[in-house]
Formats: sequence, C-alpha cells, structure tokens
Amino acid sequence: MTDSAIATNPAQAAAASAVAPKLTVRDLHFYYSGFHALKGISMDIPEKKVTAIIGPSGCGKSTLLRIFNRIYAIYPKLEAKGEIVLDGENILDPGYSMNRLRGKVGMVFQKPVPFPMTIFENVAYGIRHHEKLSKTDMTARVEQALRSAALWDEVKDKLKQNALGLSGGQQQRLCIARAIALKPEVLLLDEPTSALDPIATSRIEQLIEELKSQFTIVIVTHNMQQAARVSDLTAFMYMGELIEFDQTEKIFTKPGRKQTEDYITGRFG
Amino acid sequence: MSSPYLRRRITNALAMVMSTLATLVGLAFLAWILWETLRQGISALDLKLFTKITAYGESGGLANAMVGSLIINFIGIAIATPIGVLAGTWLAEYADRTRLGESIRFLNDILLSAPSIVMGLFVYTIIVLPTTVLTHGSTTFSGFAGGVALALIALPVIVRTTDEMLRLVPSTLREAALSLGVPQWKLTLQILIRAARSGIITGVLLALARISGETAPLLFTAFGNNYMAINPIEKMSSLPQIIYQYANDPGDAMHALAWAGAFVITMFVLLLSLASRLILSRTKVSHD
Repeated sequence: MTDSAIATNPAQAAAASAVAPKLTVRDLHFYYSGFHALKGISMDIPEKKVTAIIGPSGCGKSTLLRIFNRIYAIYPKLEAKGEIVLDGENILDPGYSMNRLRGKVGMVFQKPVPFPMTIFENVAYGIRHHEKLSKTDMTARVEQALRSAALWDEVKDKLKQNALGLSGGQQQRLCIARAIALKPEVLLLDEPTSALDPIATSRIEQLIEELKSQFTIVIVTHNMQQAARVSDLTAFMYMGELIEFDQTEKIFTKPGRKQTEDYITGRFG
Repeated sequence: MSSPYLRRRITNALAMVMSTLATLVGLAFLAWILWETLRQGISALDLKLFTKITAYGESGGLANAMVGSLIINFIGIAIATPIGVLAGTWLAEYADRTRLGESIRFLNDILLSAPSIVMGLFVYTIIVLPTTVLTHGSTTFSGFAGGVALALIALPVIVRTTDEMLRLVPSTLREAALSLGVPQWKLTLQILIRAARSGIITGVLLALARISGETAPLLFTAFGNNYMAINPIEKMSSLPQIIYQYANDPGDAMHALAWAGAFVITMFVLLLSLASRLILSRTKVSHD
C-alpha cells in the first residue's frame, strides 16, 4: 500500500482542517490471536472536530476505535503494535496509566448499556471514581452532563428512577452523559445510533454537532449518510488498511481513490 | 391445499397434542402428590402441630422439628451463600475461558450431582467423629454438623447459578464500566453483581428449597432430638428426619403427623419457588 501515501497523508488532512492533531496514529498494527486485523494505520485526528471512520463490515474500523482507549486489552490474545500519541505521550506504552487514559478518552457503545442503578447514579458513578466531590458539586456536575447530553428536561423529575426504564434513545443519551461527565478530551462513538430509531438517531446526530466544540470526536459508522451529515473528516478503511482520509466533503464528492468511490457509490461493501 | 402443507399441519397438530399430554401428566402427578399429602395429613394439621414437641409422640406436634429444620437450613445457607457467590464470581469474572476455571466448573458439576448421603458421611467423618473424640463424648451429633452437610449440598447449586447469571450479563456492560476507568473489582462488586442480583438470589432460594427436603445427610449429623433444641451444638431434630422416623412407626396417628410434616415442607418449598419466580419477573427489565 505504498501508493496510498498520497491520499492518506495525515499531514495533508490535518493541514486541510487547519487544527493541531489531538491523536496521532503512527504505523499501527493489530492482531487477533495471530490474525492481522490492522495493517500499518497512520493518521492525525484533529482537535475539536468530528472524524468519521467508515468502511464495510470487518474492515477494522471498530477495532481501530477500540485501541484509542485500549478497551481491547480486557480480552486475552489481542495485540497492538505501533504508536498512538495523545498530547505528546504514547498511550500504547504499557506504563501509560489506564485510569488516566480512560479519564481522557471516553467511549459510547453500539447498544445503550446503562448501569443497573438510578439515572443520577449512572452519571455520578464514573465521576465518583475519579474525583471527590461534595454533594452539591456532584448534583451540579450530573445536571450539567445531562444538559450537555440533551437529556435533562426529560429526566429531571425522575433522577431517582432506574435507568433501565428509559427508552433506547434516552438510554443512549444517558450513556453519552455518563461519558462526558468525566470531562474527557476525546469522545469515541462506536456506531452509536445503529440500535436506535430514526428520531432518536437524529437527536444523537444533533448532539454530536453540539458536542464538537468541547470534545474531539471519533465516530465509527456503517451509515455513510450519517458520516456525511455529522463529520468534518472521513476516513475510509478496507481490509484492515486506511485507504483514504480527508475532508468529509472531498471524500463524498471527489474521492481520491477508486476504492473509496466504489464504496460510497454503493458498488461494494 | 398442497400435500407438503397438509403434512406439516398434521405433524404440527400431533406434536402439539403430544406435548400438551406430557405437560398434563406431569401436572397431574404434582397435583396428586399435593392432594395426597393434604388428605393424609389433614387430621394432624392443627395448632398443636406447631406448638407441641415430638416428645409427646401421638399427642404431640412437630414444633422442635420445624425449629430444628429452620436452624439447620439457616446454617447451611449462611455457610454456602458467601462461599458460593464468591466462587461463582471468580469462575465467571476471573477464570472464564481458562483451564483452571473450566476444571473447577467441571468439578462443581460433579459435586452438584453427588449423592446426598455421601455428604452426610463426609461431615460425620470430618466433624462428628473429631468433636466426639475431643469432647470425650459430650458433644457428638449436632445441628451445626447437619448445617455443614446441607451447606455442601447447597454450595454447588449457588456456585452454578451465580456463575451462569454473571455470564448472562452482556460483555458490553463490562466494557462500558471499564471504559470509565473503573477497576475490575469495583465493576464486579458494584455493577455486575447488581445486574445479576435477582438471578443470584433466585439461586440461593432454589438451593434452600433443595436442602429443606434432604433427609439422608442429616441422619449422621444432626441425628434427631425429641426435645426442643436451639443451641446448634446439640443434637437437633428436623422435619425430613421426623417424617422418615414417623413413617416407619406402626401407629396411624404417627403417620398422620408425618403426612402433615410433609405437607408443611411441600408448602415451604412451593412458597420459596414462587418467591424466586416473583423476584425474577419483577426485575425482568434486562439489557436486551
């Protein structure tokens, strides 16, 4: 994949977005008990922008996302090689504190997974692990997170109710509130709307638009229209390789590579 | 109507009839058992059954056996629950898909089907005999020994249900908690056990239902006592043991007492099962 260097030139993409990179991925390889799932990924993810990763099933887009907070490490026989630099430090360095990494990089999953506790506790739980706050500060912090996740008005009168009673879309916004309550710098979204109906989906997309002023957002999606709607930059992956990474507008109107064009026009994948 | 379609309809009807019949047969026996215990024991089902002790024989009740059963079962569950829940948690959360974990899971399944009399003999050897020797015969059989024997029967049930209930918790819940930076022990204690709580409680109740009908393990351990015993280091009576004893007695009044005791146990087990069902259905809001 030497010829891909032009289209995936990370410096070019970052320069185009005119912002300093928040996450710098350098020659990243990933193995699932021997299977080579990511083959030398390099990219610069700009700060306070939405970067979408698209590609057909099995292309490695979720795998890549799951390395950014090292959540893959909870399973045996998975191995990442290469570098991911966050604020000047390599997060793949075994010495990098997991606690610190996960405080800086939050994640929201495909299916909404509220904890089996009250709505308030769902948001407070993570904060309590990282900071000691007084009761008033905690209440304010939870409210702020729920407001940022556009959920406050719907739940303010039932904070003490079990979170499992919320609808799927509300549960997913609660999970977003839970993640942003820790004030992370990077927010990873792994197909956050694939289990939701169109109305709940459009609320989440609106929310992404609002959140990008505060967070660096990386979203994996199998929905190309969604990538086109919400992201500033789009990366197209295929068979474990980064085929093209550029401004979203450019990817969807004049992609630099044939494979990208074939995929976004629906010829394969 | 095409012939394959007709054949499918006939097969379907046949299968339906067969499975309904099978269910009815099972239910009929259950109803018959309940009815028979009630019919045979009704003459002894009075206040005296719950207030008088077995020392009065025919004119007595089963009060000491009921109290004994409650104490012995309580000891059994009190020992088995913490060990069982911890072991089940270890299997599901720390040793899943490891060779050691699989071996222990397999051994637990063997323990699950071990004959209960073996548990009684085992506890007789490790507790009753040593205490007899150490106390020069002043303490021999005891309610405590009976409780330990029942704990050995309840333990594998609790380990198995805890393990299974925790493994039913979706792995995404684990990932969500870990991605907040929460360490494994907090995740296990504060989130996973809570998510699986109703299933674990059900497991404990089912284990209690299982041990409350056990007779064999108590014969060599709690032994029996015609008087009221509260102190667990004394010999202690229990309902199953009294039923066994009275059923072997030639007197009709004794038989009626045994039936009444059987009815009490059956009702207790039925209530436990209903309670566990209730707990499970009440918290059915799952993650999927």
